Amino acid sequence: MNTSVEGTCGCDEFRTARRTFLKGTLGAAGVIATSGLIGDVFTQVAYGVETGTNVLVVLSLRGGSDGLSMVVPHGDPDYAPARPRIAVPATQLLAADPMFGLHPAFAPLLPMWDADKFAAVQAVGLPQPNRSHFAAMEAVEDADPGSAERRGWINRMVGLMAAENPAEAIQLGTPMLPTSLYGSAPTLASDRLSSLRLPGPSDPTWQGRQEEALTGIWSSVDGPLGRGALSALSTTQNLASLATSETRPQNGATYPDGTLGDTLAETATLLRADVGARVVTIDYGGWDMHTGMGTVAIGSMRNQINELARALSAFFTDLGPTGDRVTVVTLSEFGRRVEENGANGLDHGYGNCVLVLGAGVRGGQYYGTWPGLGTNLVSGDLAVTTDYRSVLAEITSSRFPEASVAQLFPSFRPQSLGFMAQA
Amino acid sequence: MTPPVPSTQTRHLLNRFSYGVTPALVQESEARGGAQNWLEWQMQPQAVSDSYADGLKAWFPYLSYTPGKMWQAHLADQRSASDLMYDFARWTILRRTYSQRQLLEVMTDFWSNLLYIPAPVDRAWPHRVPYDQVIRSHALGRFSDMLVAATTHPAMGSFLDNAESTVWKLNENLGRELLELHTVGRTSGYTEEDVVNSARILTGYRVDINDSWVAFYSPDDHYTGAVKVLGYSSANTDPDGRDVAKAYLRYLARHPATARSIARRLCVRFVGDDPSLSLLQSVAKAFKSSGTDIKQTLRAMVSHPDFAQAVGAKVRTPSEDAIATYRALDVRAIRPSRTDDFANRVTAQTDFMGQRPFDWPRPDGSPDVADAWTSAGRMLNSWSIHRSMSVGATAGADYRSRASWLPALPARFDTVVDHIARQVLACPASSALCDAASVYAAIPRGQIITTADTLTNVRMAALMSTLLNSPEHMTR
Repeated sequence: MNTSVEGTCGCDEFRTARRTFLKGTLGAAGVIATSGLIGDVFTQVAYGVETGTNVLVVLSLRGGSDGLSMVVPHGDPDYAPARPRIAVPATQLLAADPMFGLHPAFAPLLPMWDADKFAAVQAVGLPQPNRSHFAAMEAVEDADPGSAERRGWINRMVGLMAAENPAEAIQLGTPMLPTSLYGSAPTLASDRLSSLRLPGPSDPTWQGRQEEALTGIWSSVDGPLGRGALSALSTTQNLASLATSETRPQNGATYPDGTLGDTLAETATLLRADVGARVVTIDYGGWDMHTGMGTVAIGSMRNQINELARALSAFFTDLGPTGDRVTVVTLSEFGRRVEENGANGLDHGYGNCVLVLGAGVRGGQYYGTWPGLGTNLVSGDLAVTTDYRSVLAEITSSRFPEASVAQLFPSFRPQSLGFMAQA
Repeated sequence: MTPPVPSTQTRHLLNRFSYGVTPALVQESEARGGAQNWLEWQMQPQAVSDSYADGLKAWFPYLSYTPGKMWQAHLADQRSASDLMYDFARWTILRRTYSQRQLLEVMTDFWSNLLYIPAPVDRAWPHRVPYDQVIRSHALGRFSDMLVAATTHPAMGSFLDNAESTVWKLNENLGRELLELHTVGRTSGYTEEDVVNSARILTGYRVDINDSWVAFYSPDDHYTGAVKVLGYSSANTDPDGRDVAKAYLRYLARHPATARSIARRLCVRFVGDDPSLSLLQSVAKAFKSSGTDIKQTLRAMVSHPDFAQAVGAKVRTPSEDAIATYRALDVRAIRPSRTDDFANRVTAQTDFMGQRPFDWPRPDGSPDVADAWTSAGRMLNSWSIHRSMSVGATAGADYRSRASWLPALPARFDTVVDHIARQVLACPASSALCDAASVYAAIPRGQIITTADTLTNVRMAALMSTLLNSPEHMTR
């Protein structure tokens, strides 16, 4: 029966529809030959997507991380007195210079610091204080103040690089898109790579029928849902082999338990497969420490920094030579108050540090302009001397020169910081 | 007989105020004299008999424990905090699926996402079930009453640190989120000094955390002295600051900026992601002039012309999709006895789809806009759950027989598709859906189906999942 069925259920019609949809999804540039579309992911990649491209991993430290516990200004006379119970002792800092030092829980990343692959920028943030988690996060991820358009900066960035493939900007760890990825350029979010396949019998005949059926239903649907469906269909074609690929860490990398380690391990698999990913975003929450931050020996801040450091160290080990094209940057919606509160915690603040690791980084140094913790505080918070967009602009111009910074951050004039090698 | 389908507008209203239109819901709406009358009937939930859903709580016996007893069960390794809160999410999903009080469930969901407390979360979980009852009891009442009850509740105090905030060690967390997320919003122009005073007013509501979990009011810990937040001020001289706190909360509930925030939130939830100014103003006005009466506010929203024009404009979030899928397929849960029974699996399924109830970690509540829920990963996860439910193999549930979905045979295959679509989607099958079902099930549209056996399990699952994977099911 199957044979006769396939002759009579409009396969030609569906093929036309699919071709149209793929053209729409993958861009009008015509860089992809139709014959390469269906079938092996790597064939398609070879036709349509640049391989060996530079990659940015944006790690969002959600909740407002305390930059002063991470990149500790031990040389500032006002630091320790403001935090009688939770200050990080100067004697225990790593990679200390006369002003700054790293929290000792960063030890797993010290080799990268010493190899000049890890740098920190202090006193970074939004142009205006915004102590609301949600409004600040949205402002950071939109990065286009004054514009009513709901479009995130990463979506703009891949759009400027003529994004043709949803795999160019990927959120891993959750199927929910972050605001930085909202917008018209195709993007992708997934909790895990193994989800990136169509359900049901894996027999190619049934998979093919399902793909045709879904294409038929969705190819004329407008709006975010239609975009999502088409993105799902092209993803399953592009990344089919990834969904079943081995995610075991390479080069002896050992990730810490937890979702950050799991997600970075999946990211390493994705990047090693070289399917055209340009930007990967990952959320690492749990930084909103209003109470009980603990000390360098025990407690939530120590654990959180250590998990971060172990996971990133494992990530670069796992990547091996692929790591030579991967840059990691951390962003958080705000820093925290200079003075500790009554509960051994810190309330919402302003200026923060940014960590940058990997390809193109001129590491082993602290960057930025230190405003001091004395008279320059903004309502009790570290002032911002570096707009976070300057940090992103420097990474973009160094690693993604094809994306115009002027278009990426409209009406913003970035300042040069020097932590990235020039392209 | 061809199953009757509701008019577009009836389907629209029922879809917005239920977790999915079923043939039974359509009948109920007709019996009440139409969708508008059904809505009015649903606004008096005590008048709606709901014994089956009321009985669901007994499936998860630990949920009826007091906070102190839950804590003991946790310490004694009888039932961990995490398992208890999974039970809570399971009970919630089942109630949303099976309750006859659909409007009450939808509104409880809405307010729970506004005055949001995740579960599990470190210190709020023992009070999380009673908190749910508080939201539920006010969900169709007055917002001002709900705000007072929720803000002073030990679950909220424990979640946003107010339970430990004192005159000596002030913690701003709840004082700030109350202004930003729960009421007036940032555009109202409150200052950092207002945040501090907001926190000061709330000092005194304590909880004996990690011990008895008893909630108490401690005048010794309450900040006294003049306070001012936006247009509210009080000399605040009494160490028992509860009257001041309640007056402050009622002031916030009735503030015009709160009316604007609530109106936006309601319209985004029930009308569309970008509500018009005219709609927002009508809804805010009704909210304010009725003294924050929720029923009056809903009536104003539904009677605005934008509501009728918003057919299919909302994307179902993953957990709404899961529940709508259970309803569409008429999956009937059986009291669970094993961990992989359906009533226990509902949390794993919504987890897999990316939105287990109360899993969202932050106090701003889970997003409710299409942009957040239309990634490729979301679509694939939803399609996967549609498929596995279509197969009907999850243990611990009764499923309709294959034959019960079918029209009188013999019938053309596309007639079969249409007949099933009317039951599953509450609308006729479009030509595109008939084509798609034909392709996936590998049966030509015009083929005459003479026996139910022609629709093998794999073909029937293909047909059903095609219907569920469509925009008709994935929007509301």
